[in-house]
This record gives sequence, C-alpha cells and structure tokens, in this order.
Amino acid sequence: MASCRIVDLLYAAVPLRPFRDLLIRTHVEKCARCQARLASRSEAEALFVKPADLGTTEELGRKFALRAGKERPGAAAKSAPFPRRWEWAAGAAALLLTAAASFWLLRGLGPEGRGPGFVEPADRFEINHISVGGAPAQAYVYRPQDSDMIIVWAEKSPG
Amino acid sequence: MDEKDIIAACLKDEPGASQRLVEAYGPLVLAVAVNILGNREDAEDVFQETFLRVFRNLARYDPGRSFKTWLLAITYRRALDMIRRKGRFSRFVVRAGAAAQAAPAARPEPVAADPPPLPSHLLSRLSPKERTALCLWANEGYAAADIAEVLRCSAATARVHLFNARRKIKLLLEKAHGVLQNS
Repeated sequence: MASCRIVDLLYAAVPLRPFRDLLIRTHVEKCARCQARLASRSEAEALFVKPADLGTTEELGRKFALRAGKERPGAAAKSAPFPRRWEWAAGAAALLLTAAASFWLLRGLGPEGRGPGFVEPADRFEINHISVGGAPAQAYVYRPQDSDMIIVWAEKSPG
Repeated sequence: MDEKDIIAACLKDEPGASQRLVEAYGPLVLAVAVNILGNREDAEDVFQETFLRVFRNLARYDPGRSFKTWLLAITYRRALDMIRRKGRFSRFVVRAGAAAQAAPAARPEPVAADPPPLPSHLLSRLSPKERTALCLWANEGYAAADIAEVLRCSAATARVHLFNARRKIKLLLEKAHGVLQNS
C-alpha cells in the first residue's frame, strides 16, 4: 500500500514518459491494488462502438468507389516533397523576399530608373578655368544634394 | 480469400478486388473513426480519406507488417487531421461570434428510427491519443507495442497513454456511479 502511494507520487511528480513507463512495468502491471484502480477491459469495451454495431458499410463503399473512380492501387503516389500548405508558404515567403529585395535595391532610383548621382544635362555646371593672381588656382566645387546651389572655392596654388 | 490474396489482387488491379478490401475492413475503419471522433458524419469522411490513401500507397505497404495495424495507423492520422481541421474551424466560429444556427444544412437530416450508435460521452474527457489507445486495447486486444505502431510512437509512450486513459475512465465511471447511487 505504501509502495502504491510512492508510485502515485512519483508518477505525478516526474512527467517523463520513459520514467512513467518504468513505474507502470515494474509496479502497476504487477500490483492487484493498482490494477483495481484502472478500468478493466470489459468496462472500457462497453464505452466504445464495435464494427458489428454499425451495420453494413455497403453504402459507404459505393460512395467510395464513385469518389475513387479509376483509382489504381498499384500506382505510386505523386508524393510531393512537402505537403501542399508548405508549398504555398514557401511561395509566399519567396515573393515577400523578392519584394523586399526589390524595394531595397530600387528605393534610391528617381524617375526613369536613374540613380541619385545622375544630373540632368541642363543642370550640369562647368568651370573651365579659375585663376587667382594670374596663376591657375586650386578649385573645389561643391553642390549639396537636392539643391540648386553650387559652391565654388578657389585658392591660390602653393608655390 | 485471405488478406494477402486481397492485397495482391488489388495491386494487380483485378476487378472487384478493391471493393472486397473495403468490404473486409470498412466496418473496422468506420468503428475506430467513430470511436476517435465521437460522431458518424466525420467518421464517414475519415473512412473515405483512409481508403483513398490506402489505395494510393498500397504499393508501399510492407507485407512483413500487419495490414490491419497499417490500416488503423492511416485511420488514426486521418482522424487526427479531422480533429485539427474541426478545431481550427470551431475556434474561428467562436471568435467570429457566429450563432449556433449557421448556414442551412446542405442536405436535410433524415429522420432515423434508431439513432446511430455512438461512443460514450465519457470518452470526450480523454485526449485523442488516449482514446485511440484505449479503443485498440479494449476492442482489438492490442498490446502496447501494437498500439505504438498505430500511434507512431514508442511502446513506452503508448503504455503511458493507455494507463492514463484507463485511470481517467475508472475515475469517471466511479463518479458517474456515485451520482447515480445518490440520485
């Protein structure tokens, strides 16, 4: 009786199936007290429907034959590597990735697919020659992005 | 004609062979499906799906294994799929706040003189695995190793499911008996 209680406690405390299986095989299956606390085969049988209770399945068999059509039992199944819902999920994921990659790659392009560094010919700024004190100067041209302003810095060349 | 002959005939696509197979094992498949699912309508769907799958995969059946166990394993998987599908649908219906009277039934329910036999409502307190394990043990006399083949788990796991099922049912029967006695 004490061992039954210990087994009960251990069974409840340790939710590991191999351990529980060990308790069942080593104690429960051999203990009359423990067996009395389980439903017997006849008690369990009374709860279930038996094949004989359901009558004939002829009607179901006819429906199945109609549905199966010319189902060939010997043919190998067209087994897809993944179930259909995984195919849909993979396809949707691929589309999302493609959309995200396209958005990231193309986000910098302006109209007509041109990059941010492209300048229209009409907006091009040219300086052919800058001189300071009669000598060619070092010139720096700076144009802030998205602005019509151009800053030119010129300084006398050293030497 | 025994089981091996019927299967061989089905593989050779002999006329009437598939019908003989369905006649031989149909009642068993239907009974197990009803016991797992608790209602005949879903069980009939599982019946159809099981035999479709059986015929599609019959070439892969290993003659070294029990055909009945292989068949019941397919039945169990189809029944689990049905439970999952219905479970998702039931949750959706509850969330949407749908009323109990949804769309009208596609076909009118026939008025049956005798209602179809159904398993005990006590079985709804068991998980599908426990219900299956108990059904196979009680109705088919399966041991843990055979139950494990159907449930596709280890014999240890099958033994635990069976133990849990038997213990729960015993408690429920004692409670029900106690209620009857008191009333």
